[in-house]
Amino acid sequence: MLVFTRRRHEAIRIGDRIEVRVLRVGRDGVRIGITAPPDVAVHREEIYEEIRQANRAAVAPQVDLSALAERLRQP
Amino acid sequence: MARSSALPVETPLSAEAVPAKAEALSPDVQEGLARNAISFPDGIPGFEACRRFVLLTSDALAPLQRIESIEGPPAAFLGIDPRLLLEGYRCKLTETDLRALGADGDSPLLWFAIISEADGVLSANLRAPIVINPQRMIGRQVLPDDGLYPIRHVLTTKA
Repeated sequence: MLVFTRRRHEAIRIGDRIEVRVLRVGRDGVRIGITAPPDVAVHREEIYEEIRQANRAAVAPQVDLSALAERLRQP
Repeated sequence: MARSSALPVETPLSAEAVPAKAEALSPDVQEGLARNAISFPDGIPGFEACRRFVLLTSDALAPLQRIESIEGPPAAFLGIDPRLLLEGYRCKLTETDLRALGADGDSPLLWFAIISEADGVLSANLRAPIVINPQRMIGRQVLPDDGLYPIRHVLTTKA
């Protein structure tokens, strides 16, 4: 892992299209601004991980779905 | 923004027509799968190696649909239009999402909340729906930063 020391308003560039800038440094957290092209997905890690785990748990539920399908067909 | 999903994917496949094991696929079925393949250029979180999926419908499962990978590790999800579960469901697509889908604000899109099961309880992921642009056959799982909808919207409780 590359490790940098950055002060407020200083930035890191990743390639020629991505910029990561330190906006504010507080006692409990650091506010970071990311500039990236639209085709680069940027997510908070915990959100991505939560969705990832939900997807893993979602594969082919081993339950009888006909009852659920029947119920969902009701208006 | 949630839009009408009335537009069906071209030639919907029947879930019954596709055998469980990939080796068992006849050339006809394989060709059908390839013709109906929906590409997911970014994969799906947890299944990043799966880039091509098909949408399978059957009368028995309706309004549920199966979303199955036809490339990479086997993966099969059950999905349902989130608007059938929650009236007024709206999930905003970012410019990044629209661009990835090859869609503009007016493109008709298909929406699926992925259904999962834990301890006999079925729930639907309303937070991060799968969105498909049937005109371009491109799909993507949308990961909104706002937590407007739950990842586990309970559909049934334990019998």
